[in-house]
Amino acid sequence: MNIRNLKPIFNYFFAITLLLSCNGHEQKEKTITFWSSNASQEILFTAYFADKWNENHSEKLESQPIPEGQSSEEVIMAAVVGRTTPDIYANMWQGLVEMYAKSGVLVPLDTIEGFTDFIMARSGEAVVKEITSADGHIYQIPWKINPFMTIYNEKKIAQLGLDVVPTTYSAYLKAGKDFSKDTDGDGYVDKWIGDTEVKNIWHQRLNNFYPLYLAASNGAPLIKDNKAVFNNEYAVGVFNFLQTIYREGYFAKESNTVGSDKFLAGHTATKWTGAWDVSYLERYKEDDFEYNIAHLPVPDDHRGVVYTYADPKNIVLFNTCKNPALAWEFIKTMIDEAGDLKFLELSGQIPRRQKIKENEVFQVFLRENPKIIPFIDQSNYVYGTDNCEVLIEVLDIISQEYESCVIHNKKTPAKAIADASRAVDILLGNF
Amino acid sequence: MQVRPKKKRSILPYLLVSPYMLFFLVFVAFPVLFSFFLTFHKWNIISPMEYSGMDNYTRMFNDRLFWKSLRNTLWFLVIHIPLQIIFALGLAVFLNSKIKFKGLFRSVFFLPVIVSGVVVTIMWQQLYGFNGGVINQLLNSIGLGRVGWLTNPAMSMPSIAIMATWKNVGLYIILFLVGLQAVPEHYYEAAEIDGASSWQKLWYITIPAINPTIFMVIILSTIGGFSLFIEPYVMTGGGPLNSSLSSVLYIYKQAFEFYHMGYAATLGFAFAFIILIIIVIQKKYIEKKY
Repeated sequence: MNIRNLKPIFNYFFAITLLLSCNGHEQKEKTITFWSSNASQEILFTAYFADKWNENHSEKLESQPIPEGQSSEEVIMAAVVGRTTPDIYANMWQGLVEMYAKSGVLVPLDTIEGFTDFIMARSGEAVVKEITSADGHIYQIPWKINPFMTIYNEKKIAQLGLDVVPTTYSAYLKAGKDFSKDTDGDGYVDKWIGDTEVKNIWHQRLNNFYPLYLAASNGAPLIKDNKAVFNNEYAVGVFNFLQTIYREGYFAKESNTVGSDKFLAGHTATKWTGAWDVSYLERYKEDDFEYNIAHLPVPDDHRGVVYTYADPKNIVLFNTCKNPALAWEFIKTMIDEAGDLKFLELSGQIPRRQKIKENEVFQVFLRENPKIIPFIDQSNYVYGTDNCEVLIEVLDIISQEYESCVIHNKKTPAKAIADASRAVDILLGNF
Repeated sequence: MQVRPKKKRSILPYLLVSPYMLFFLVFVAFPVLFSFFLTFHKWNIISPMEYSGMDNYTRMFNDRLFWKSLRNTLWFLVIHIPLQIIFALGLAVFLNSKIKFKGLFRSVFFLPVIVSGVVVTIMWQQLYGFNGGVINQLLNSIGLGRVGWLTNPAMSMPSIAIMATWKNVGLYIILFLVGLQAVPEHYYEAAEIDGASSWQKLWYITIPAINPTIFMVIILSTIGGFSLFIEPYVMTGGGPLNSSLSSVLYIYKQAFEFYHMGYAATLGFAFAFIILIIIVIQKKYIEKKY
């Protein structure tokens, strides 16, 4: 073969190789990489602390929002598989940590000197217990929560002759009966007492069933000692309550679509939501729109404090981090008192810190933002998620039964919960 | 005697096809083989793989949702394919006739094909809304009741099939137009001399003449129908009561919500095998007939 025939091909491959090797970016030497969520307030928050850190440290920190993807969970999973994880990721849903911990891709943070004492002082013993994994290590830094509560339209509730939104099942159902109406006479209800997503998607149950279950049961777990423990009066009661709501037409059975906010438009009087909604409402509400906040509905015979779902998002260190102690030094600057205050100011979400209301550092903020105070009060009575490796599947099983029983009235609440419990036990037995 | 010089074997052709071969090996052959390997394993991507023998296959045969998703997909095809053929052929015949603004009509009918699937899906979700949807408002205004297009388990898949037909009809109109323009004009002239009506010309000339195109549309729609994903994912999440859970959506859920990679690969192979059987039957029928 004539070697001259190959010359153009060699030239072609050489040119391609040359082009591909030209990066155009100067390779920056950064010591710590940090991914935040892509919420604009959190990007600002992270950038603020990254700049502050970089001014005073030779080991630099590079922060960026999590790359775009279908969901943050998928992006993180792809990064784990490709070993392109950042050193620090802030916005990890607590329910996923156990799976990553068991797979050995997270740094056991309790092995870092001073970590446990810091977290214990900031968040308290109950939180430390909640985030401790099955193997006895701690793989997550409890960072922020958005306790689920009832936000209600004060004028609409006042129209029912009530001063505050009803907080027991029977009173809430009564309000539903009085409020839900066909106002334009077309034969269909167009005003509802509340609204919550009906789609059969596991994470939607964290917005309705799970907070109500925690409220009814004083924060009882779904899974304990690798067994389903939710086949009880509280879970059945929640299903019964919600089934009645949908059967009687007090909530719309329709999935929420883009661009509609039934609560702000006055089509619903209440919504179950987290603290982040306060800044949203403040931004988009009409001047004369007045709202207030109360705890979630509970069974009529409920006594004592009312728990709710915390919606916890935490910070983790991946095992690709070369200097966990240094990364922890940076994180401490974000979650000390000054950091937590800055976070509250920028995002309106609640740091997972105990005694915020009593702490001098937060007083000015609380005075200026009174709507956040009920969420701060509620943050003393919250629960995150069980440390279960297959929690997503557990919630999916509950979601299947939820749809069948609550939305479509195909099963009794007792049967639906019993079926879900049995299916979860089979699932856990497989692992 | 003249001896012909021995032809030298050149590596040039091999080098020229090597980029595609490399692409094929990395992005087609390896994933297929690796997926088949996965069907015998339990793997959540981040933990070490565990050999599970035939467990994934056993689980699949006992999995209520596997059969449900298969039934749903077949139900979708039963509705979608006839709708697709009727509308695409009807519009193609219309566009093939002597009408004004032919080019404009062709562009308009093709427009949904090039619009993003997610955009179309969100738009139809708004149209199908039970309380605020345009379709229900129209029905209500003329005294007919509202329909739970996406909230009634009996209606969810037909609603998705209608939307998919609207989205894809432009593509099949083009295919039918190509087929129609290949039908010799003198067939119609002879029929007209014999006094055939428009309907008779369509039934006895056009349809037999474009039968290969009809079968191609059936095959393409079958393959396209089995890959139904965006529409139920965005509009219904597979509900209500799993009535719109398509095969691909179920694979997606197993793989990327629950991280059951081995089981998802098993489902993928099962569905691929089912598509293969259907296509072989269709192909055999076409070859037999033509």
